Amino acid sequence: MTSPSFAGDQDKVGEPQFDQKHNDITNVSSVGGRGEPDRGEEPRSLSHAMLTYDILIVGSGGAGLYAALESRLEEDLHVAVLTKVYPTRSHTGAAQGGVNAALGNRDPTDTWEQHWFDTIKGSDYLADQDAAELMCREAPEVVRELEHWGAPFYRTEDGRIAQRPFGGASKPRACYAADKVGHIMLHTLYEQGLRHGVDYFNEWVTLNLIHDGQRCMGVTAYSIRTGRLHTIQAKAVILATGGHGRIYWRRTSNAYGNTGDGSAIAYRAGLPLKDMEFVQFHPTGLRRSGILVTEGARGEGGHLLNVLGERFMARYAPDKMELGPRDLVARAIETEVREGHGGPDDELFLDLTHLGKDQIIERLPQIRQLCINFEGVDPVEEPIPIKPTVHYSMGGVHTDINGCTPIEGVYAAGETACVSVHGANRLGGNSLLDILVFGRRAGRHAVGYARRIKLGPMPQGAYDEAERCLEELMEGDGKETVAGIRSDLGQIMATKAGIYRHAAGLEEALGDLEHLKDRYRRMTIKDRSPVFNTEMLAALELRNMLTLAEVLTLGALARTESRGAHFREDFPQRDDEGWLKHTVARLGSDGRPALSFTPVAVSRFAPEARTY
Amino acid sequence: MTRIHTADAGTRTPFRVQPEMSGRLTYAFYSGCCFQGADARFFDILTQVFGRLDVDLQLIPDAVCCGAGVIEERSELASLAINARNLAGAERMGLPFFTPCSTCFNVISNVQKRLAEDPRLHDQVNRILAPDGIEYRGEGRLTHTLYILAQDVGLEKLGERVTHPLHGLRVGSFYGCHTRNPADIQGYESADNPTSLEDVLRVLGAEIVDYDTRDNCCGYHVAWPNADLSKAMTGQVLQGAKKQEVDLMVTSCPLCFKNLDGVQPKALAATGRDFQLPVLYLPELVGLACGMSPEDMKLDFHVVPVNVRL
Amino acid sequence: MAPVKITPKRESLLANIRVQRFTSGKDRSPYFDNFKLEVETGMTVLAALRKIKDEQDGSLTFRAFCRSAICGSCTVRVNGRSVLACSTQLLPILKDFRKGSVTIAPMANLPVLRDLVVDIDPVIDKLAKMHPYLIESPERVPEALERESLMSRDELNAFDYMTDCILCGSCYSACSSVAADPSYAGPLTIAKAYRFSIDVRDSFRGIRDQAAIDQGLWSCVQCRKCIKVCPKDTRPADTIRRTRKLTIDDGIRDTPGSRRAKAYVADIKRFGQVNKPMLPVVVFGTKGWEAIEVAEAALTKQGLEPTRRVCKLPGQEGVEGIFGRVRAIEDEEEQGR
Repeated sequence: MTSPSFAGDQDKVGEPQFDQKHNDITNVSSVGGRGEPDRGEEPRSLSHAMLTYDILIVGSGGAGLYAALESRLEEDLHVAVLTKVYPTRSHTGAAQGGVNAALGNRDPTDTWEQHWFDTIKGSDYLADQDAAELMCREAPEVVRELEHWGAPFYRTEDGRIAQRPFGGASKPRACYAADKVGHIMLHTLYEQGLRHGVDYFNEWVTLNLIHDGQRCMGVTAYSIRTGRLHTIQAKAVILATGGHGRIYWRRTSNAYGNTGDGSAIAYRAGLPLKDMEFVQFHPTGLRRSGILVTEGARGEGGHLLNVLGERFMARYAPDKMELGPRDLVARAIETEVREGHGGPDDELFLDLTHLGKDQIIERLPQIRQLCINFEGVDPVEEPIPIKPTVHYSMGGVHTDINGCTPIEGVYAAGETACVSVHGANRLGGNSLLDILVFGRRAGRHAVGYARRIKLGPMPQGAYDEAERCLEELMEGDGKETVAGIRSDLGQIMATKAGIYRHAAGLEEALGDLEHLKDRYRRMTIKDRSPVFNTEMLAALELRNMLTLAEVLTLGALARTESRGAHFREDFPQRDDEGWLKHTVARLGSDGRPALSFTPVAVSRFAPEARTY
Repeated sequence: MTRIHTADAGTRTPFRVQPEMSGRLTYAFYSGCCFQGADARFFDILTQVFGRLDVDLQLIPDAVCCGAGVIEERSELASLAINARNLAGAERMGLPFFTPCSTCFNVISNVQKRLAEDPRLHDQVNRILAPDGIEYRGEGRLTHTLYILAQDVGLEKLGERVTHPLHGLRVGSFYGCHTRNPADIQGYESADNPTSLEDVLRVLGAEIVDYDTRDNCCGYHVAWPNADLSKAMTGQVLQGAKKQEVDLMVTSCPLCFKNLDGVQPKALAATGRDFQLPVLYLPELVGLACGMSPEDMKLDFHVVPVNVRL
Repeated sequence: MAPVKITPKRESLLANIRVQRFTSGKDRSPYFDNFKLEVETGMTVLAALRKIKDEQDGSLTFRAFCRSAICGSCTVRVNGRSVLACSTQLLPILKDFRKGSVTIAPMANLPVLRDLVVDIDPVIDKLAKMHPYLIESPERVPEALERESLMSRDELNAFDYMTDCILCGSCYSACSSVAADPSYAGPLTIAKAYRFSIDVRDSFRGIRDQAAIDQGLWSCVQCRKCIKVCPKDTRPADTIRRTRKLTIDDGIRDTPGSRRAKAYVADIKRFGQVNKPMLPVVVFGTKGWEAIEVAEAALTKQGLEPTRRVCKLPGQEGVEGIFGRVRAIEDEEEQGR
């Protein structure tokens, strides 16, 4: 097979290139695209449709779309985004609060250095200071670039981007738009992608990375709509699939699809994962759905009550009461539940009723609507049932500041990745910043790489391996179901690797996970239709979650200290001497994770106690 | 008998919602522009029927066309201002504002709502009205034929006045869009599952037949820019009802009536269908059930003959 | 104050959930399956679907992602109304309809792929034709990234409400005009075009005006179902009227719709009401005479005297003044910009 050249025919509307014999690829939208890659020689050895791109991005949240746009702005390159949803449905859209950038629009004394310090302190000193420095320096530029593309950030009196204070930030620097900043960012990136001819593979699932141990070659993926498997050849693949909060299944604010696909794919391909034990909890998610009831409700004077009606925070944080730091409040709630003070569903209560109808309607209309819509409870009339809920995954694919991984041409960015800028605990407003800065950097680096190298031959076995994986899911005795295993997984992780952790529980969890993997092997997909088989999709996601759950739990067991979001009851103190280092996990030859540790980059700020 | 007379615009009376001691109800009447030409007969029909039900109407003096939302395509502020002026007329009379036209009901409800939500806009509108000595206070209630019948007169009283129940009549009921969408315009009943029309029809003795296109749009408001589209929509509604073998359709909206009856032959011809489905405007059927004759209800004026044994 | 034990109010109701099923390429036409389910306080339509899928039928197919009404994946029709399954409580619907049963169907106006999943690409394709992205105006958007563009709060507020749109397609599913004319762009696409056209940082408004007209700007019937169903309250039908105004303001005045708008304003100013008998000619030009003659013949047959004019309503004189004062305010605002 000869390497195709990518001169690009500028007159044709860009269509993905595929094998003529199997021109049945559906659901690839290439609206407004320009340029088409040369077809090259038909890959006869492969009996299935073959697509070829310079840069393929897996995942369509902020990081993926920014990377795509950044690479597509180089008009000679062919760039596609492959996503299991439609781009505007990605979970970036759910981010409400703000994106940090030291613009100084509200407080001219703010600087990127202060942002840097806040980030490091927030991370409980586990973030790499060089990476965090770079992120904070580049923040104003990426936010402005997004603004230039049309993002409707709210405005100051004099027409500049408005900023507001945020937990953990020493200055008001979160740029915002009502409670929809993630939403407007995501839509802006999607819109500009349409404008600049990014191809979108909507509702496609990536199964595996294809590589030769040194270099990236592409991915295997299948179309949810048709159920057909494809290999996609790409010089560079950027994994940007978001976090893995769904490991905790019901106990998360995350979308159904936040199953850590990119991290699991990378891990299976032999790439290292980093700091997987760090998972951020938010203290007040709704009982049923885990959807967040933001701090605003407590800020307005809401009381946290146990089922006895006691304002229990008096026992844990008598000064700050409900307004204590997130991790402390989450642990207090968890303790109350353990002591049997939870409601019928192990929930606690956020009570606003004493504020009165008028104040609730006037000051917290969105929170009220949220409770009515999602929980069927009107906070004017009764307390809101809440549970702590998994919110953000600090860990992910181990990358450098350009999103590079040990395999050339494989990149990761955003919540999938761990650069690390969030360390043990992410600062509010930094998740959206992370995806912009590192999505852009990954895209930029991939452009250079894709220009430099030529496509290599595709290994024979990749397609067959993916096909086998799908076929195996159709076998098994069928007594086990995706839903059953998934629900047990969530329960195990929430109780044994959740807010409170200790050695015995974590060891037990590892055993439980082995058992779940066994059950998974015996599971079968009852839905036999190739068309939009969501049970198949769920099974593939579950495989990824089981993989990551093991890495996470092992990391949590190894880390015999408490830092940021990781709290060990048997080791309640931070241990800078022993543990100022990253946990790195690789797939071992025995199929189990092998852990190693790398030092944290400390350039300016010496670790101090993290108090607010 | 109903008395239609112009109110003395100068006198201000306190706002009344409750029936007077006599059991009579009085409304400030805003006809809208749909009772033009041959449809002028609906004035007469409405007053006859309401007369039977002890409802009096007093014309709002100086009222003008609501603009049907169309003038908003040139100026939203103009729509707000002239309708605030219309509403102010009823406020001065101290009576609830009644319009039989669903589109007027919708447009004016929307104006009421927007001015209630935005005090700045309310002030601006009042500044526009001030040179004419008019002030819109935002106090009045706005209502429609449907709610006068189903709620103000009430089903009980309506039942008492029925002398010729419509037993055995299979009726397809059609609200039209503008008393239902959006849901927040008035709140007289559930916007997703309204029952006022069916409640009234049941009291009249009719059998309600459900059909697929009950919630469709009749297409009236797209007729001028896009007549073909309008006819297609009218045709769809009629075919859905026809499929369920209704004897006739009844609508509470005079504009839907115009399309479903007046445009029916052309709408069906455009979709290659050939049938005749009688359509009645709600007050007509109420009148018939209350003992008025087809002549009183001027059924001869229908484009599609009402050849149903009632 | 002594603590009072909390007893959460929880109701439940055994209900019949009727779900439309269909697999393209397999079934000839859609059919319904019935599932019995204990519906409790707090259970959303989505939670009910998940429960059925997890416990009763793993093949039941629907889209869902964020569960918090921001991604727009899970639009379905519940008893005919297009809603986001994730933010719609089931119990109140069962109470509203008083039937003990609820029907869940896929979005209307789009081809069904399987069960509750429709092909939304037709909407995306229509949207793409509207140039739904900002094309930077060099006057507003700085070249370098050292500064953001300046935009006042009022300028932002003019379209901010539209940026709440999550492309869930509820409005498209509910749209009367799309149902009758599948080539019509639908509410969200026009509204999205408007959002960019009035963004002061944009420079592509004229092109979008024409794109909107080409895709049926004047085919919206203003039934306002889109306003009713929009889960984000973006009021698309209102925005469509504003888009119409925009095209007229930009000088596109040779459309039937713009002529109608002009006639309405002129007539109300002059007579206090619209001269409906003459609308066909006003809107369609000489082609309209035929319609007028047909209407007049019908009137004559009924023994009525046709007229081509309306009477001046008493008291309409004041209206002319109102239009004048409105115009003055609008001119002033225009100059302020």
